[in-house]
Amino acid sequence: MARIELRNLKKAYGQVEVVPNMNLSMDHNEFICLVGPSGCGKSTTLRMIAGLEEISGGELLFDGERMNDVQPSKRDIAMVFQNYALYPHMKVRDNLSFGLKNAKMDAAEIDKRVQQAAVMLGLDDLLDRLPKALSGGQRQRVAMGRAVVRHPSVFLFDEPLSNLDAKLRTHMRGEIKKLHKKVESTIVYVTHDQTEAMTMADRIVVLRAGVIEQMGTPQELYDEPANVFVAGFIGSPAMNLVSGVVQVNGDQTHVRLDDGFILPIPRKNGRALNDGQAVVLGLRPDDITPQRAGSDDPNIHTVNGTVVVSEPTGAETYCILNFDGQELMCKSIGREEIVEDAVIPLGFDLSHIKVFDKISEQRIY
Amino acid sequence: MLTIKAQKRLGGFIRHSWLMLSVFAILFPFLWIALSGFKREIDIAMSRISFAPVWSNYEELLFSKSSTYLTNFLNSVIVSFSATVLCVGIATLAAHSLRRHKWPIFAVSAILIFSMIFNMTPAMTLVGAWHSLFVKVGINNTLFALILVNVVLLLPMALWLMMTFMRDVPEELEEAAAIDGCTPAEIFRKIVLPLVVPGMMATSVIVFVFSWNEFQAALTLTTKATQTVPVAIAKFAQEYEVKHGAMAAAATLSTIPAVMLMLVATRYIVSGLTNGAIK
Repeated sequence: MARIELRNLKKAYGQVEVVPNMNLSMDHNEFICLVGPSGCGKSTTLRMIAGLEEISGGELLFDGERMNDVQPSKRDIAMVFQNYALYPHMKVRDNLSFGLKNAKMDAAEIDKRVQQAAVMLGLDDLLDRLPKALSGGQRQRVAMGRAVVRHPSVFLFDEPLSNLDAKLRTHMRGEIKKLHKKVESTIVYVTHDQTEAMTMADRIVVLRAGVIEQMGTPQELYDEPANVFVAGFIGSPAMNLVSGVVQVNGDQTHVRLDDGFILPIPRKNGRALNDGQAVVLGLRPDDITPQRAGSDDPNIHTVNGTVVVSEPTGAETYCILNFDGQELMCKSIGREEIVEDAVIPLGFDLSHIKVFDKISEQRIY
Repeated sequence: MLTIKAQKRLGGFIRHSWLMLSVFAILFPFLWIALSGFKREIDIAMSRISFAPVWSNYEELLFSKSSTYLTNFLNSVIVSFSATVLCVGIATLAAHSLRRHKWPIFAVSAILIFSMIFNMTPAMTLVGAWHSLFVKVGINNTLFALILVNVVLLLPMALWLMMTFMRDVPEELEEAAAIDGCTPAEIFRKIVLPLVVPGMMATSVIVFVFSWNEFQAALTLTTKATQTVPVAIAKFAQEYEVKHGAMAAAATLSTIPAVMLMLVATRYIVSGLTNGAIK
């Protein structure tokens, strides 16, 4: 286990600052996900933690000890690469034991650890195969096994599931979570897939252009996004983000969306809004459902919409509906068929509406 | 209008015909020379296809007291083998350094472009300077000097070839090895080297063949004791007599090392050794 601290960490390539100034601390045994779009600096940050990338400024601390100039092999870390990086000329057994042999570990102990890892990851029948004779999922597990056998304080994962198909990815997510429970190490996991981050992380760090936009638990990020970027990035399908103008009329506050559709904003939230203020409204598809239409709940606002596109997924259906020219993604729970071009009533849960300032893109509340 | 099946068959016929023609174009001159080694001078002069084979050319070449062919052959083996080992060794290390170490891009480009320009420079323009140099340092007319010349001449080509093979080794493997506790030297020895062996073997075959056939520098920088096979073959053509039969026999024998090396090397030149490393 290790506590990792990034203090004013900086990475620049010449004049280009990829990570301008990052401050972040990760606790012992914590599972941290760094998420963000391509080029946001998440892999660079991970590689700085691994020691594969030189640190341009600031400090990297493991349990209070400065690591900036420590060799990767001396940091007590293990890393799983996006492309697995298995040694192609070595059998699975040798791939797993390579690091331990370099550490001059006792042969019996190496054998024991390799066997343990092989059993844990279901690799016991594959130990004498070369990587080229393995499937993608098996290679991925060997890559994880190579990290596991070292019993490191810190696991670093660099988009390890991005080359797997959707089904295998879901399976491996579970495997990695199980692994975390067993090994009790700090895990830093880089992904651009917010679903992976949401399902696995204790805490998520959302990055954009090398800057931390927000960090928190998956639920915090989902419920309380700090800005438009985080709101749009977290959640699948993505939050509906539509711009509009605030209209205050006595006690009533509304937002008139650009296409003319008007939504009331609950009074308790309406206080901070000024008449004429340009805002971006955030509505999750989960909060616009036909099942809640006509509810007595004062926070539920019912409006009729025309179904433009219907995407049934089995137990629920995602659909795009048109409300007075404004198209919004909605979610219908249950197996009820949603027919395209039908006009149906939808219940908007106004208590979950997020309002962002259009210029600063920061959440107003 | 041809059917798709007929079009495919026609395409296959054209491709195979072209292949056969290419093989014939390559093998015919060699077969002609090889057969000439078993002909009497009169048969060669008459360009006879039907002839009674004789061993006299080979006997003269290998067993006559006046022949130095075996010495020339040994010289060629020593020079080509040493030059190949040195050349491929240096090129592999250089390619790894240029590829992996954080050289400024202009430095890498400058080295590669310079080596290409050097490769295009005719060896004859350099031979005079080399001769003076070797005389000064006292290694003129030695095999060592010839080995150095071959290394210098063939290193640019070897470097370019090894750069392409080095490019196929994923960088992540070296990073993974660094995390697994390898020093830079161990990364090279345990990870990179095993993966570029096919490339090194392919480069070795090419460098060996070029070195074996090197003529211009060898002609100028050697004497009878140190001359190599190409020079020896050329000397069968004297002012008043051209020994075509002996020349053909010598040329045929001279292909043996390259063919043997090719047979050994192909065992190592297996494609896709890095399969399974990534993705």
